[in-house]
Amino acid sequence: MNGVVFDIKRGCVKDGPGLRTSVFMKGCPLKCVWCHNPESQSPAIQRAVATDEVCGREMSVEEVMGEVRRDKVFYSASGGGATFTGGEPTMQFDFLMALCGAAKAEGIHVAVDTCGFAPRECFAALLPCVDLFLYDLKCMDAARHLEFTGVPNGRIIGNLEFLDSAGAKFWIRCPLVPGLNDSDADLAALRDFTRGLRNMEKLEICPYHPLGLEKCAKFGLSPRYAGMSQPTAADLARYNAFLRPREGCAPARPQAMNAPAGRTATGKECYAI
Amino acid sequence: MRYALRMERLTARKIEQTRVKQDRLGARDEDDYGLVLPPASFKVELPVRDATGQWSGPRAWAANFRWLMENHPCYIDPDDAIAGRWMFMLSRMRLGYQLSRSNFAFDYSHLEPLQKKYDITTGIGKDAHFAPDYQIGLDLGWGGLLEKVRAVRLKFSAGGEDAAYSVELMDAEEQAILGVQAWMRRLGAAAADRTMTEEDPERRANLEEMARICLKLVDRPPETLREAVQWIAVFNMASRTYNRDGAGGQLDELLRPYYVRDIAAGLITDEDAEFYCFCLLLNDPHYYQIGGPAADGTDQTSRMSYIILEAASKLKSSCNLTIRVWDGMDRALYRRGVEILLANRLGYPRFSGDKALVEGFMKNGYSAELARQRIAVGCNWMSLPGLEYTLNDVVKINIAKVFEVAFAESASWEELEANYRKHFAAAVKVTAEGIDFHLDHQYLNEPELMLNLLSHGPIEKGLDVSHGGATYYNMAIDGAGLAVVADSFGAIEQRVVDEKALSFAEVKDAVASNFEGDAGERTRKMLDSAGRYGAGGTRADAWAVKLTEILDGEIAGHTTPHGFKLIPGWFTWADTLRFGRAVGATPNGRRAGEPISHGANPLPGFRKDGALTAMAAAIASVQPGYGNTAPWQLEVDIGLADDERAVEKLMALMDGHFALGGTLININVVDAEKILEADRDPSKYPDLVVRVTGFTAYFNSLSPAFRQLVVKRLIREAV
Repeated sequence: MNGVVFDIKRGCVKDGPGLRTSVFMKGCPLKCVWCHNPESQSPAIQRAVATDEVCGREMSVEEVMGEVRRDKVFYSASGGGATFTGGEPTMQFDFLMALCGAAKAEGIHVAVDTCGFAPRECFAALLPCVDLFLYDLKCMDAARHLEFTGVPNGRIIGNLEFLDSAGAKFWIRCPLVPGLNDSDADLAALRDFTRGLRNMEKLEICPYHPLGLEKCAKFGLSPRYAGMSQPTAADLARYNAFLRPREGCAPARPQAMNAPAGRTATGKECYAI
Repeated sequence: MRYALRMERLTARKIEQTRVKQDRLGARDEDDYGLVLPPASFKVELPVRDATGQWSGPRAWAANFRWLMENHPCYIDPDDAIAGRWMFMLSRMRLGYQLSRSNFAFDYSHLEPLQKKYDITTGIGKDAHFAPDYQIGLDLGWGGLLEKVRAVRLKFSAGGEDAAYSVELMDAEEQAILGVQAWMRRLGAAAADRTMTEEDPERRANLEEMARICLKLVDRPPETLREAVQWIAVFNMASRTYNRDGAGGQLDELLRPYYVRDIAAGLITDEDAEFYCFCLLLNDPHYYQIGGPAADGTDQTSRMSYIILEAASKLKSSCNLTIRVWDGMDRALYRRGVEILLANRLGYPRFSGDKALVEGFMKNGYSAELARQRIAVGCNWMSLPGLEYTLNDVVKINIAKVFEVAFAESASWEELEANYRKHFAAAVKVTAEGIDFHLDHQYLNEPELMLNLLSHGPIEKGLDVSHGGATYYNMAIDGAGLAVVADSFGAIEQRVVDEKALSFAEVKDAVASNFEGDAGERTRKMLDSAGRYGAGGTRADAWAVKLTEILDGEIAGHTTPHGFKLIPGWFTWADTLRFGRAVGATPNGRRAGEPISHGANPLPGFRKDGALTAMAAAIASVQPGYGNTAPWQLEVDIGLADDERAVEKLMALMDGHFALGGTLININVVDAEKILEADRDPSKYPDLVVRVTGFTAYFNSLSPAFRQLVVKRLIREAV
């Protein structure tokens, strides 16, 4: 079985526990204004405007697993594994299921990074072959969620509650953009909602970074919002003050100026250590 | 915190001394070495020089060395536990000295055409680069060594003609010892003099103790920990003065008996012990190993290992301490080492991988017991203290040059590999002949007067360590330029053979013209963007492994024509610039004269994500595997150091590398911004220490071109 993958990054340390290989799958049902990988939104293979750079290539499950296997020794040493991310990996659901199943069968820890906007059955089916969900929660306010991402958040929250009740392990990841979804009320809503979750292991804050704008230009996409700014140190302190008391919440940090390697679709830095 | 202030003052003085060195000597692209400058008025007047400014042979070296030691200024710091600093390198005082080519009194012009053709660093006339066994000196003291030398001389003096060299060598050893003893006596006197003007009672007491120890150690072996570190430091300084030798030993085991005795007797506390170690490490950045298995396979980690590690952590200066990582180790020592590396960001400690080193060395026909004793005591190298002569890290074949010759001769892709194999074999042959030539003549050129004393054999046999004195001869040959050549083969195979996007002739033309013109640049870009070594699963990755097989095939298990064992490694030292200048454009898109790749590292940009697991796996895949290293030089951004689980992640990365066969990891944890700023204005961060390769150095003491080696490794990681 084949799918469309737009990148495979090895040695990632921010997409779940330990050292990981992140497989970036193309296509996403959301159109977040802050998206870091706007070129990942379309399920089609795309070409950059000025250069020969191509985004996306068709790969078989075996080809992807060939790459994933390369770092097995580092997974076992670090408690790491494979992270299937995107885009939105559930957009290529059969391919995702095959990959998760293959990795699981080889004893590789499997994480799936998802925006949560998929039919409930998808998550039910993934449960037995996924060790950890990295679950994006972008805005608790339904109207603004729709405005910023193009979809309402009811299904996303519902799926999260389903995973929680089914006993799945998950981390919540929340991209925060000053002025859009980081008001005290937003943070309070996020804090209150996540407090009600029994199986959340961690809440990660992903401060906005304008990397996506450059990529829009590169692939001839027009950004829906301009003028978004990175959170200041004071913003980060405020996020931490709101969210830190919740056990398991990772503190927000400013983006390093020379952060190596790429970032995931949710804007989390992905250091090559 | 009894010593905090003294440590602070000592460190500040060292930084000031480094600044003065920088001002007076300019950039020095090598190890800091710990030397300080002599007073400006000091004049070196060596007694033996010929009309061309040269000297050779035991007698001449001994006379010059003795003069230097007898006149060597006596540096005394009342805050220091150790007396003395070293100031001269006798081996560099011969007229026309060059780091890349040693003065050599014997003609090897019959080898030179081929050595030049393949840009071989021959090692002919190179000194040191093997390890002493300090235990010999700690047991005997200078007095005991002198007695031993005199006894052997007596034995040989009855031997007539045949023993003439041995007699001369023993005479020279005696002169060398007398020189060191004279210096120690003067150091003691200088410390005593200094007490007269010292008003602070604690420092005065320290100076009195320093004087007592120096005078005692003129003849007698050390009995306390402080005496032991002073003895080791004096040997190091004398050996540096003689010929820059920088090999250390298994420091925790060497010092442990003294520590245990002193503690039991209530003479010292752990704090004292740590301070003595601090002073030893400050005195000179010799290469020491801590931890690792003893000969019998038990863990050597002791309280002393931790004390040395903590002393290094407080040092905040250039330091070359290696922790040996192995299955049976105390993981807490390893973890503490990683914590210090991440927190201090000074490029130390380093980590060596026991499993691959031991299993590899055994493939040369040695026992596990012996292999475990072959420890990390040099830039990239391992050595059996006191037992082995190696020419480690000074014999190198620039395989980028070998490739250039083969490529120029090839009319098609099909011919290229065979031509490379043919020329590489020729390069190894002439390199091995050069090693034989060195082993035939070096004892007459520059005998190892200092290291002979701490080796098992040279004194007893009356033979220089380079000429039959050593127990084992395992001669190192390192390949340099791995990534450039692997990427060149890989780029041609991918673009010409697989994709047929370019013809072999087009590549040849473009390379010959140094990628001139638009067409040339287009070709260069295509070659440059082909899959690199280090990416995983590329043509170049497969070539890197094949090049290692070719390296092993010609070197491992082979001997020189005279029968000395050869051991392969991949290492350039810091010579990537010099090697690069000798090589025209290469088919990996590298322009003529640009630096070659570093050690076994892939070239910057080997993967878009710069994945360190990919790098770790790639470098593990090219280990020659016979007990010499192909080190991994790694720059880690401070982003990791901020991660709450950074220590675990870095350990996992290293464990993975070692499990895959890795041998040695040199890590810089860097603040890229700070380094870039220091590159623009070096005076801004006088205390910035970076790991250049096997050695660390103050960043501001490096030349601009050399600083670029470090800077470029950082930039590849930036988005």
